[in-house]
Amino acid sequence: MTLRERYLVGCAALAVASLVTVSPTRAQAPTQPPEAALNAEAAQNNWPTYHGTYKSYHYSGLDQINTGNVKNLEVAWMHFPERATRGVQSTPLAIDGVLYYSGSYSRVYALDGATGKTIWAYAPELDEDLVSKQTHSPYNRGIAIGHGNLYVGTVDGRLIALSLKDGKPVWDTKLLDSKKVTVGFTGAPLVVKDMVIIGAQGGEWPGRGPIFAVDGKSGQKKWEFFTVAGTEEAKATWGGDSWRTGGGGGWMPGTYDPETNTVWWGTANPAPLYDWAGADWKKSGPRPGDNLYTTSVIALDPDTGKLKFYHQELPHDAWDFDSSVGEFVMLDRGGKKLVVHANKSGYVFVYDRSNAKVENVWPLVKNINFVKSIDPKTGALIGRRDLSEGKVDPPLCPAIAGGISWNSGAYSPKNGLFYRIGQEWCMELTVEKTTPVLEPMAQLNLGATFKFVPPPDGPARGHLSARDPVTGEKKWEVNYKYPPLASVLATAGNLVFVPDAEGVVHAYNADTGEELWSRNNGIGHNGGIISYMAGGKQYIAVPAGWGSLVGDEFVALFGEPFKSMSKNTGALIVFALRQ
Amino acid sequence: MRVSLLTAASLAIIWPWLSTATFSQQSNSAGSASPQAQAEASPNDVDGRKMFTSNCGFCHQDGGRHAGRGPKLSKSERSDEFIIERIKKGKTGAMPAYGEVFNDAQIGALLAYIRGLDD
Repeated sequence: MTLRERYLVGCAALAVASLVTVSPTRAQAPTQPPEAALNAEAAQNNWPTYHGTYKSYHYSGLDQINTGNVKNLEVAWMHFPERATRGVQSTPLAIDGVLYYSGSYSRVYALDGATGKTIWAYAPELDEDLVSKQTHSPYNRGIAIGHGNLYVGTVDGRLIALSLKDGKPVWDTKLLDSKKVTVGFTGAPLVVKDMVIIGAQGGEWPGRGPIFAVDGKSGQKKWEFFTVAGTEEAKATWGGDSWRTGGGGGWMPGTYDPETNTVWWGTANPAPLYDWAGADWKKSGPRPGDNLYTTSVIALDPDTGKLKFYHQELPHDAWDFDSSVGEFVMLDRGGKKLVVHANKSGYVFVYDRSNAKVENVWPLVKNINFVKSIDPKTGALIGRRDLSEGKVDPPLCPAIAGGISWNSGAYSPKNGLFYRIGQEWCMELTVEKTTPVLEPMAQLNLGATFKFVPPPDGPARGHLSARDPVTGEKKWEVNYKYPPLASVLATAGNLVFVPDAEGVVHAYNADTGEELWSRNNGIGHNGGIISYMAGGKQYIAVPAGWGSLVGDEFVALFGEPFKSMSKNTGALIVFALRQ
Repeated sequence: MRVSLLTAASLAIIWPWLSTATFSQQSNSAGSASPQAQAEASPNDVDGRKMFTSNCGFCHQDGGRHAGRGPKLSKSERSDEFIIERIKKGKTGAMPAYGEVFNDAQIGALLAYIRGLDD
């Protein structure tokens, strides 16, 4: 045997040995998404973080499924979670052919991405008595993966780390006194360097909406940033003691900009939502002042938890049009580093990534009357409509559910288009002078009664539009009788997927909006759609299940099919091309 | 059977004296509400309409006159016992339980407000 032959035999033996000693898939599965994958524009084989990658495009670089063959897409497998109260609202993650997702009550499932076979499942014991007192409960909207762990928050105020390999708890850290403030965690965490970051619920609940960073290995809290009066500057923007119950939770995951080492996060509305101060809001009412840092985008130093800079999208938000949408689309355009953030009001803000200076503001929806406009150069509100005690006339647009809901749009770096769902609806409103809530306690903190009504220009409805993310220029639009509430997915196959409220998943040509494929999942969608690769094959995973606080409004607005739609069931439906 | 409006209203009237003690206890456990804040907050704790706006109007639209996330409550055919029980225990995934937030007098004031709603 020559030296070369010996070498080849040796290599072959090593290869065989590795096949014998390493079980397929599981033992080879990485326990940490590579930095390059997190920082990329496109999610490739994996979907490693809530927004796809830190760029937050909700874009898959996979193109096995494309405009030419999407007509052959069919169900590959399904998974049914236990106790799907209020449906399935989460966004799955996928790492090395394994799909992970969470359901209500923070139940987590690890499934073989090709077959749907369960690898492990985890169900935390929750404080059910507390859960029964919560309005925004018991759904869970997502998970994070890093440091060999899977992270999930709970509605009773805990952040839990599970071993990615077997689902066994690694640590379980209590971060919030949920019995006192009633809220907990429903949003997905975000892994940044050696830590995991998560924001608390809370807008109309009387808390201070902290965002926490926890050490991934030990579960020890590293820092806590109060989105309400988190600095002395911010505290001065709350009259009296109103900061003590100011709301402002960061209840959806933001993202991380590694180029500037900055965590971007959106915050909720101040409490009480709706106040009677009218034009004198700087000096009177239940929460006089700008109410920093509610309804703001904030930039935090992940190493210290200190605020670097911010922009308050709506100073003294009097309408519950918060900034909690977690999607921060990172773009490089014309030599500028920009970030695009959708506000619940229906306006989309474009910022300089280095300082949150406003570069542009454009409206996604047509029916807006809470302001006359927003200055696209400065972000200043022009002609704001502050509410006084009594009936608000004409009705406020958009309605409390917003012109834009909390789920995410998508951006395709292939054609430069941003795909976003908008909602057209208004509401009659009577502002009432309620009793100030001065201590965190188990009750809501509202200052109005209201009723959804159609907008002036037609029926209540929704639309998906494809636009330039910086200028807002529209290329095409698809209208829906019922506003879709799920996230959108764009792919390198030149497709845009929209799971709608009736239960139908649509695939459109990303350039033209032409519908190329649709399938009825039989129940409305309210979670995040993703794509991933398993065994060399591309899959599309769609959580199906109905019953969010916005979706609950559809019965009164539209009647059927929502009147008869179950709000206590759901499934993960996974599609692949027919063989 | 209906709890009479008179009973609910009576409970509402005596509540200002009862509620101060309860609010104090919560404040003490939280550690810092000012005495002035307690005095201001107490009388309104039995205003069924304000309590409804603060807590219930989020789901029961138009002050309870119109269905929204929750059902329409005006002219409800549900019994008083059912409504009281639902306020206390809630309904998982649909309505929070307020049994440990509001006492019987406050729930009585809420019931009186609901029963007094026009369409």
